Amino acid sequence: MTDPLSKEATAGEIARSVAAGKVKSLAVVEATLKRIEAAEPAVNAFTDIVPDRARRRATDLDAGKHRGPLAGVPFAVKNLFDIDGLPTRAGSRINVDGPKAGRDGALIRKLEAAGAILVGGLNMGEYAYDFTGENAHYGPSRNPHDTTRMTGGSSGGSGAAVASGEVPLSLGSDTNGSIRVPSSLCGLFGLKPTYGRLSRAGSFPFVDALDHLGPIARSPEDLALAFDAMQGADPDDPVCTHMPPDPTLPHLGEGLGDLRIAIAGDYFTRGGEPEAFAAVATVAKALDATREVVLPQAAVARAAAYVITAIEGAGLHLPRLRARPQDFDPDTRERFMAGALLPGSWYVKAQRFRRQFRANVLRLFDEVDVILAPATPCFAPRLGQTMMKIGGVELAVRANLGVFTQPISFIGLPVVVAPLQRAGSMPIGVQIIARPYNEKAALRVAAFLEKQGVASARPA
Amino acid sequence: MTDEKPDVARWVDEGARMIGLTIAPEYRARVIQNVERSLVIAQPLLAIELDDELTPGPVFRP
Repeated sequence: MTDPLSKEATAGEIARSVAAGKVKSLAVVEATLKRIEAAEPAVNAFTDIVPDRARRRATDLDAGKHRGPLAGVPFAVKNLFDIDGLPTRAGSRINVDGPKAGRDGALIRKLEAAGAILVGGLNMGEYAYDFTGENAHYGPSRNPHDTTRMTGGSSGGSGAAVASGEVPLSLGSDTNGSIRVPSSLCGLFGLKPTYGRLSRAGSFPFVDALDHLGPIARSPEDLALAFDAMQGADPDDPVCTHMPPDPTLPHLGEGLGDLRIAIAGDYFTRGGEPEAFAAVATVAKALDATREVVLPQAAVARAAAYVITAIEGAGLHLPRLRARPQDFDPDTRERFMAGALLPGSWYVKAQRFRRQFRANVLRLFDEVDVILAPATPCFAPRLGQTMMKIGGVELAVRANLGVFTQPISFIGLPVVVAPLQRAGSMPIGVQIIARPYNEKAALRVAAFLEKQGVASARPA
Repeated sequence: MTDEKPDVARWVDEGARMIGLTIAPEYRARVIQNVERSLVIAQPLLAIELDDELTPGPVFRP
């Protein structure tokens, strides 16, 4: 049994120890705050820590005022989530001058209702327009496996905080890959649920058409615990589904059963370094998956996701680009400005194509339940690196870390990233993709891979 | 894309003026570069034709 006060403890292990009376929530919080203090100079995951709030919450829990499946579990959130009393930075300097949040974001409230304890807000790429985890205002989040390397982004702090063992659980957002890229580069399990499955109320938007929120953790069980606690309709997010919650945790140990598993071919077999494809091959072998399926026009899907992101993101930020251009991160400013100048007809075409791509990919799910694909085209690049060589071609890091994640979130499919570790090497993840609302299939496969020792996430 | 560069520069300058966005001289080259990059990345989408009947999936619910 893992010591619930250690950095190796998972959310499930902590919650079970607290429920059994083996450890107090307050002791868990104190150990967490100590770890954060020790790790921050190296990893720079946090922008805000709320120790008083966390201690109060833990004391209430220990007094029996709250219970739940996540009792005593410390967690932290990407700083685009509203935290009562703090400005919602969204990685920016500009938002700090805005009003402070008067209420926690919906998912924070749901996790705390399940007994979890918020300990702080996490670093991220400015306004989530980022795949690197770098930030000119707050410094880069650093990969705990090698602090000279990127965490990936934009949920960079969400990756660093869990990979360093500061907290067992974090929340991030994913518009084009911002949960899945850091999960891959930091060697963690991450869940990007179905579009509209979890409420986005009380979070700073980026691209409404593509924004998802979800958890990052060191075990599939923790993803399921958090995901189940966060499900449910929310009238404050018009996109949030009215479907009833569908608990995944009870199904986690069912194994592969009769799940039909295939490997994404064509587009997903090109444009990456050997490590990305080797990871998929390792997972496919462990799952005895040999069938290949082709997501038709995946390159067009990536282009369309890019166009929707550029135009919607720029539209959102145009007033700030006019009023305070000098206060933007230089790495997002000119990209947002360029997006403001792209034709509206591109946007409409991208949205129309989205429907076609959805129909074509959903047809594949008549024949398979789960599709495997690389999560990132390579291991974590070095901090400050702007270009990378992929398959011998020189490409921009920022635009290309998400080539394999963008076509999938474009149509809102649920994905779990399973991380592979190898001694002497950086970690890298594999996307386990399921049909809409079938998060449990992807989580089952991830749990199977963890049980077989194929996928694992340990703090660095 | 090199041949189109002058057009992209004009697109940026006049487009920004049209929408009331002042682009400081020190940002201009990178905005142009990003519009050029967008043209390259968007190309697979711009190159295909879609049926007239294909409409976007609606989300807005009155």
